[in-house]
Amino acid sequence: MGRGKELLWYIGKKLAQFVAVLLVVSVLIFVMVRLSNIDPVAVILGGKKTSPETIAALRSKFNLDKPVVQQYFIWLGGMLRGDFGIDFKYQQPVWDLIAARLPVTLWLVSISTVLALVICIPLGVIGGVRQGTWADRASSLFSLVAAACPSFFLGVAMIAVVSRVSPGTRFTGNYHTFGEMMGRMWMPAICLALGMVALGARIIRTGMMEQMQSGYVQTARAKGLAPGRIVLRHAFQNAVIPFLTVMSIQVGSMLVGAVMVENVFSLAGVGGLLISAIQSSNYPVVQAITMILVFLFLLITTLVDILYAVIDPRIRVGKME
Amino acid sequence: MRVKGKQQRVGRFFTPSVVISLAVLAVILIGVLFAGVLAPYDPNYGDLSSAMQGPSAAHLLGTDQTGRDLFSRMLYGGGTTLLGALGVVAFAVALGVPLGLFSGYYGGWVDTLVLRVSDIVISFPSLLLAFVFVAAFGRGFGNTVVALGILYIPMTAKLTRSLVLMERGKTYVEAARAVGCSDTHILFLEIFPNCASTLTAQLTLDFGYAILDLAAMSFIGLGVQPPTSDWGAMLEEGQVMLFTQPLLALAPGIAIAVTVIALNIFSDGVQRYIDPSQRQLPGFGKRGKWGKKAD
Repeated sequence: MGRGKELLWYIGKKLAQFVAVLLVVSVLIFVMVRLSNIDPVAVILGGKKTSPETIAALRSKFNLDKPVVQQYFIWLGGMLRGDFGIDFKYQQPVWDLIAARLPVTLWLVSISTVLALVICIPLGVIGGVRQGTWADRASSLFSLVAAACPSFFLGVAMIAVVSRVSPGTRFTGNYHTFGEMMGRMWMPAICLALGMVALGARIIRTGMMEQMQSGYVQTARAKGLAPGRIVLRHAFQNAVIPFLTVMSIQVGSMLVGAVMVENVFSLAGVGGLLISAIQSSNYPVVQAITMILVFLFLLITTLVDILYAVIDPRIRVGKME
Repeated sequence: MRVKGKQQRVGRFFTPSVVISLAVLAVILIGVLFAGVLAPYDPNYGDLSSAMQGPSAAHLLGTDQTGRDLFSRMLYGGGTTLLGALGVVAFAVALGVPLGLFSGYYGGWVDTLVLRVSDIVISFPSLLLAFVFVAAFGRGFGNTVVALGILYIPMTAKLTRSLVLMERGKTYVEAARAVGCSDTHILFLEIFPNCASTLTAQLTLDFGYAILDLAAMSFIGLGVQPPTSDWGAMLEEGQVMLFTQPLLALAPGIAIAVTVIALNIFSDGVQRYIDPSQRQLPGFGKRGKWGKKAD
């Protein structure tokens, strides 16, 4: 097969997988939520007494009078058009509730990702190249602690410390400009990023250690190439591939981790909405948010997979699965 | 690179880091197991006249806004946290290990199915699936433990499977088969004991993850419900008094972090003991003691 054809075939396969997993997850989420023994009508009414006619009207409004399979397809079809249904509590379109909050979560995760990459790559490279030095030890110790501290604890600890050091700092409140947003988000972003920094640094370190002892690096050193050039141009480029896979999955975890961090710093992201929806059995909102998070998560991992195939021909012919 | 002969010796399990981590875990375990004897106060009884006190001889870590003794609450809360994490890991072992053993040993379509489903579940953030589970079946400690337990099955099954695949072709298995041992005997009494040490290392790590996941669920109010408390819920409660009495939130958080760090170090020690090639990898300058890393 030619180069282009191979690549297209690979991309097609990945996209088909993306759609298939998304469908399986949608069935799973729908079935799980339906298994609950809480009656949606009771949730919608919220304890109010009402006539059987109103109940019947509500059932038909939320499509609860239709067979379960049909309800699933109505839900799925609606999502394809960007319609996530009406929520039980406020009786508003679910998308309106989410649309206002999604950007906050997406900004938080994006800022954290950039921050994590900027910190963990140098940390991992130094650890892998200069093993056993104090820099390596410090970076290993840091990874160990960062991996064990839950993001929400870091947030709480950070507020406790920062409020002592500079008493005027604002931890809550709205923001309007980009600058204000960064002022509000740098702390939550650090908390969310640390787990990824710990894992990322460890993977880069192991990868660099393996590359630095491989044959081509020995050759490069033997012919007198500058150590800096060997590290950055040769070893790093090979070590970065497995790192990217794990990182794409980590960004997905961050979407969920954001729920906790938003809670600590009272940011108005989708996290708070999801928690309150779970607690009040507001199923349309739970279904919509989990589907959106899964969609984003799968989108990122699929895009990274495709990106590799473009960079590294070995992957698309299936030699590095 | 300096090579410290003593620490690198093959077959030495009790390295200083392992000893320290074991000691830390032992202290936590004793504190939690004997909470009934060691705790100076009832964890749920609040004496309003001694509310919001700082650490003192009477209250080692101080008291909260209703006068409950923080030290006593830490001991009891730790019990809930560790018991929950143990439940999660036990659930995953009880179902995941047999699944991995059979799918690795027999192969076939069952194996393919186990592998595919595991790969999908593992690729998702475990908390997201726990959210959906708790949304469906209700929040609370039991449901959270079951939800996380189910989500930890695939990891356990996949690791067991890969270990079985390595052992399956070895001579001792062939010998057992030659003398007429049954498949069940070979799987559970011959192969499984040889996988146990690697599994232990991984399960210690998973125990730490379970503590973190459980704490997160309790922190956002989906896990433990009052009056029961665990470190995650205590951290959440303590936030209210963060500016006046930071210890209320910091103590449970530090307890979580210290426990998980100790578990990670211990797991690392077990891993190194099993696989000496991990002990020392060659650096940039000189070759390490173990030469090339064994694959």
